[in-house]
Amino acid sequence: MSKNNERIFEEARLKNLELATRRVFFKDCFLGMGSMALGSFLSGCNWLGSKDGTAIFNSDNPLLPHAPHFPAKAKSVIYLHMAGAPSQLELFDYKPDLMKLDGQDCPQSLLEGKKFAFIRGVPKMMGPQANFKQRGQSGAWVSDHLPHFATVADEVSFLKAMQTDQFNHGPAQLLMHTGTPRLGRPSIGAWATYGLGSENSNLPGFVVLTSGGKFPDAGKSVWGSGFLPSVYQGVQCRSEGDPVLFIKDPAGMDRDLRKASIDAINEANRMSYDEFKDPEILSRISQYEMAYRMQISVPDVMNINDEPDYIHEMYGTKPGKACLANNLLLARKLVEKGVRFVQIFDWGWDSHGTDESLAIDYGFVNKCRTMDKPVTALLLDLKQRGLLDETLVVWGGEFGRTPMQENRDGKKMPFKGRDHHTEAFTIWMAGGGIKKGMSYGETDEIGYSAISGKTTAFDVQATILNQLGFDHEKLTYQFQGRPFRLTDVHGRVINEIIA
Amino acid sequence: MRLPRLNKIVWIILIIALGAAGFAWVTAGHSVDYNTEIKPIFNKKCITCHGGVKRQSGFSLLFRSDALAVNKSGKPAIIPGDPSHSELIRRLTLKDPEERMPYKHPPLTDDEIATLKKWIKQGANWGDHWAYVPVQSTAVPKVDNWLFGTSGGGSWVYNDVDHFTYQKMREEGLKPSAEADKATLLRRVSLDITGLPASSSLAGHFLKDTRTDAYEKLVDTLLSSPHYGERWAAMWMDLARYADTKGYERDDWRSIWRYRDWLIHAFNENKPYNEFLTEQLAGDLLPNPTDAQYIATAFHRNTMTNDEGGTDNEEFRTAAVIDRVNTTWETVMGTTFACVQCHSHPYDPFKHEEYYKFMAFFNNTRDEDTYDDYPLLKEFHKADSVKFLQLKDWLHQISGNREKELIGFVKTGQPAINSIAADHLINSALTDTKWLVLRNNGSARIPNVDFANHSQLSYRYKSWKPGGKWVIHLDQPDGTIVAMVNVEDSKGGWKISSLPLPVMQGAHDLYFTYQNKNLATPEETGMQFDWFFITDPFPGKGLKGYDSAYKYFNDLLVSKQVTITPVMVENPKELFRPTNVFERGNWLVKGKLVQADIPQSLGSLPANAPRNRMGLAMWVTDKKNPLTSRTIVNRIWEQFFGQGIAETLEDLGTQGIQPTHKELLDHLAWKLMNDYSWDLKKLMKEIVMSATYRQDTKMSKDGLEKDPFNKYYARGPRVRLSAEQIRDQALTVSGLLCEKMYGPGVFPYQPEGIWMSPWNGASWKKSDSCDQYRRAMYTYWKRSAPYPSMITFDGTSREVCTARRIRTNTPLQSLTTLNDSAYIEMAQFFAYRMQALGGDDLKKQISKGYELALFTPITPEKEMIFEKLYMNAYNRFRSDEEKMKLMAGNQKEKQTPTTAALVVVAGAMMNMDEFITKN
Repeated sequence: MSKNNERIFEEARLKNLELATRRVFFKDCFLGMGSMALGSFLSGCNWLGSKDGTAIFNSDNPLLPHAPHFPAKAKSVIYLHMAGAPSQLELFDYKPDLMKLDGQDCPQSLLEGKKFAFIRGVPKMMGPQANFKQRGQSGAWVSDHLPHFATVADEVSFLKAMQTDQFNHGPAQLLMHTGTPRLGRPSIGAWATYGLGSENSNLPGFVVLTSGGKFPDAGKSVWGSGFLPSVYQGVQCRSEGDPVLFIKDPAGMDRDLRKASIDAINEANRMSYDEFKDPEILSRISQYEMAYRMQISVPDVMNINDEPDYIHEMYGTKPGKACLANNLLLARKLVEKGVRFVQIFDWGWDSHGTDESLAIDYGFVNKCRTMDKPVTALLLDLKQRGLLDETLVVWGGEFGRTPMQENRDGKKMPFKGRDHHTEAFTIWMAGGGIKKGMSYGETDEIGYSAISGKTTAFDVQATILNQLGFDHEKLTYQFQGRPFRLTDVHGRVINEIIA
Repeated sequence: MRLPRLNKIVWIILIIALGAAGFAWVTAGHSVDYNTEIKPIFNKKCITCHGGVKRQSGFSLLFRSDALAVNKSGKPAIIPGDPSHSELIRRLTLKDPEERMPYKHPPLTDDEIATLKKWIKQGANWGDHWAYVPVQSTAVPKVDNWLFGTSGGGSWVYNDVDHFTYQKMREEGLKPSAEADKATLLRRVSLDITGLPASSSLAGHFLKDTRTDAYEKLVDTLLSSPHYGERWAAMWMDLARYADTKGYERDDWRSIWRYRDWLIHAFNENKPYNEFLTEQLAGDLLPNPTDAQYIATAFHRNTMTNDEGGTDNEEFRTAAVIDRVNTTWETVMGTTFACVQCHSHPYDPFKHEEYYKFMAFFNNTRDEDTYDDYPLLKEFHKADSVKFLQLKDWLHQISGNREKELIGFVKTGQPAINSIAADHLINSALTDTKWLVLRNNGSARIPNVDFANHSQLSYRYKSWKPGGKWVIHLDQPDGTIVAMVNVEDSKGGWKISSLPLPVMQGAHDLYFTYQNKNLATPEETGMQFDWFFITDPFPGKGLKGYDSAYKYFNDLLVSKQVTITPVMVENPKELFRPTNVFERGNWLVKGKLVQADIPQSLGSLPANAPRNRMGLAMWVTDKKNPLTSRTIVNRIWEQFFGQGIAETLEDLGTQGIQPTHKELLDHLAWKLMNDYSWDLKKLMKEIVMSATYRQDTKMSKDGLEKDPFNKYYARGPRVRLSAEQIRDQALTVSGLLCEKMYGPGVFPYQPEGIWMSPWNGASWKKSDSCDQYRRAMYTYWKRSAPYPSMITFDGTSREVCTARRIRTNTPLQSLTTLNDSAYIEMAQFFAYRMQALGGDDLKKQISKGYELALFTPITPEKEMIFEKLYMNAYNRFRSDEEKMKLMAGNQKEKQTPTTAALVVVAGAMMNMDEFITKN
């Protein structure tokens, strides 16, 4: 692009931005007229929650970085969702008393008035199918299924009394990520991107990586933008095929020719701008330029081949495959490059015992193996790069699993499995201003129900937003006549685990 | 405020006049308007704590009766006529921050308090929100003719619309723009009315036609094009949340494309909007509904069905009913009703209970979140359609009174009792929560079955082993045996069978028991049920034709020559489902029993309206309904201008964005109902014939500054095309478009790895030849993984109703039209067309291509840009045969450097802003 064109473009872009900004200011700002600094501008004018949806939605640059409500403890979030819901009773919530009940009929008191997805009639209790030890300084209980993770247990805060009210995967995953079991709301990554914009203009602000051969049960809505403008939805990056859809030049077109063709498009568009003076044209010109840059930066960041051997060894990667280990390494690369929110879904944790791969004493153990090493590597890798302090890592599923053995349709199952359970599950958080070596919340002696320090999806969401610098009650978007927020009318920041 | 430029004398007169008016206003004459002066203060400062959600101290400002009532303090907050004794005013003016309102927020301004005082003094009258008052005939503003100058001079106005917009322009100090050139108008109005660029012949004809009514003729031609129906059906599909899958986790296939085709037909036939709505809301309740009228009701069968294992069917049935309520309001009446689910509306005059009264209209249909999406309408084809007619004839002849029942059952499978109604399960189960299964020595109950003197039970079942013995007891697990069946082994397939029942009256519980010695373990399943149908033996035994009629009846029940569509069927009275208020919106906590009704603040049901969906449809399409006509006018306006007259299409309530031209909206709404008898084509014609619509889109510095978002229409609409238009236009200019209409969803090219739903083996198989190139609206729509390039251009996943797409402008869009293989193929064929039209002359090829795309000649400067790109590409491809072949396409004879270079040019043209934008 010629220097002259660049100058004209920049001038016009600024003018346009100025216009849009001024409109926001006059229309919606009645308090902070004197305070021009962006931060106070936002809070003083309630910019994020302004009545007119188009006000925040600056079509010129919807991903312009914004300051949050208060200084953030975490710059980015890596959210690891084990889709299908891993068993807390085989990983972190050690219940020796449950072993004593193994094989006995479940007491009626645990069944009356309760509903389960598949358990019918009277199931048998099932003791922990793993050996547990206390680990590190903190003495956190971690089972032998996670030998690597056991060495970093001191880095994390466990939430052992998580509860939900959804016992089907789709709705429970939606609740976890969008604050409602129904469809149509923005995901937490979309909210974060809407609130913060994107730090790296050559990469999406919100990236999604999936493994396990399937998408999460709730489909793409768990990283969707709901009623927010679609620009805030998660961009799915893939380890197989194009790393981002349509990022590769078509067959037969090399980079120079692509550059020449984008230059031609933009030159024609500048002529249109001269004719119509529509600022949207300038915006389109900049989007084509960004598209060109993304074509270089995305494949670059998505390429793990240049990482040193010891890193590959540490994560246990399998180059060219869509696997969790690769995705975790990619997550580290992405946050290093300024991506705000990396959402990882790993499918296959639904250990019902209906077949071998879903047996709690077989398939589940294998899933743990594929997860244990790379998740540990992620924490250590972030730490050795000094990134763990500013990166919030969250690990969990959408609900827990029953202390009873599943008896689908009232029958004995071919393999050992546990049904979906809403009343207790464990998640953990690390880095990004979270306490180290902490465990919050307790379940009863058989791990059936949370009894103290109960937390919910809303609390986790409020806490994640808090670490990113947002008051979850104030990050709102006007839709259907009222301000909406991720946590709706719920949510409490879990201060007990904040450092 | 910006003042129009007027000469000095006018100014002086104005100032004197305003001064006098202001004086009068302050002293006495002005009567405070609730809607514009009071409600905004309440909404902004008070209603969060004193509204429909929270009622601090028992005080709410939502309804006048609440606001004047005695509060917890023992006195009323507002005493009409007496501001000095009104607690409201006292609390607003106190000094103590603990007592002064708004609590912990900045105080109201003196002006606001003065306004409130005056309003109380004048009697604290409540006013109705504009959109909740029936539409009145609105006078067209008189604007002097001499004022109608464009910036280019000359008269500007074409029709009434222009008088309204012109008046606003004047208020805003804007001047209208001149009419756009013919080529621009041609492209604009074609894309708007048919969603496609005009055909070459139509374009050629119009551009040469110099008669004064050439444009009107063009508009008439476009309105009568079959593509018109496709374009407007596509709009409605977002509202109807049309998709080809059921949604949720498994997101499996659903056959509902006949509804999409119904929409196309309805628009093309120009079905009056009131009938269009009535058929969709209550087509099944019309006298002797046709298949088409049943299919129209699939509108509300586009709700999602959850097949995920272990889901509670009643929970998701309820979710679907709630979705129908919310969608009806959002789509038809531009109102956000969803928040009334949990509490009274925070801002608008809808009470919590009224949500459930309204839900009662929808709560009484047969669908129950079953796996098969029952009830399904069957349309028979080929031999079976003949059988169906013969059966109908025969039944008509022999038994007038059974015809309706049996034909209804053949067509819709209703009224049947789904096996998921079973309970009291002992060694039996609702397997995967989809079907009742019985195991050895198992038992189950079907509660509350109304026999109504019928004597036969028909049922659909599966079994896997012979020897099953199924016994039905009455009212008790060991009650009177009414049937004992040696189950015929169906070998794992579904089978329909019947058994005789003793004639009984009233409702009874049926207890099933089951035994089978051939089942090896207690866990093994013996028998599985789908549904039960209480009926009588097939009539006419012994009469001529009985055997073949009975055979046809049974054949048709299992016909494969059939298209199925989920439709609405109302519960018969024995299956009536009562509706309760859900406390705080929780469907498990049922409160007061309610009867179907509409919110009181919006009038009442017409006198002769039944309390069912038909009565609802009568109210919705009644001319007194304040919202229906305004909503559709606003929506259609938005389709032409890129924004609604009231921007928030989904919410015309007090929290929506106020309309910029309320009088125009009301004028068109009145006209639509009264002058046009709900004829949408007439409404659209009025809009596109206006000078307002026909303006040039060029923006002046002044215009851009005064009205950056073109809310006052002093220039034509310039907006990016919709996802569908972008694909359809590219298909058209490339010559690939397949104009075939109707039929099941199609599968154009899509990259690998987009479909990965759990527990669902479905895969995307690219359609053959023509079907790959169908219009975007025919693309198979999978909710959890919709067609990616359309989503990128702000298409919606259609899980729930989307009243308004928000346009974005992102690099992912650029990447799509630059690199998606579907677009590369279109660029190749576009280039071939350029060659065919331009011969060997490069300049001509480029200019012909540009004209194909935009109907207007290319400027020499732009032509140079593409020539330069061509040369660049040509030089590369000349020395790189491999790349050349890849770019030029699969056809051998096309594989030349010249063609490959032209493909690059064609691709670039299809990415120009003016190509993906409506100018």
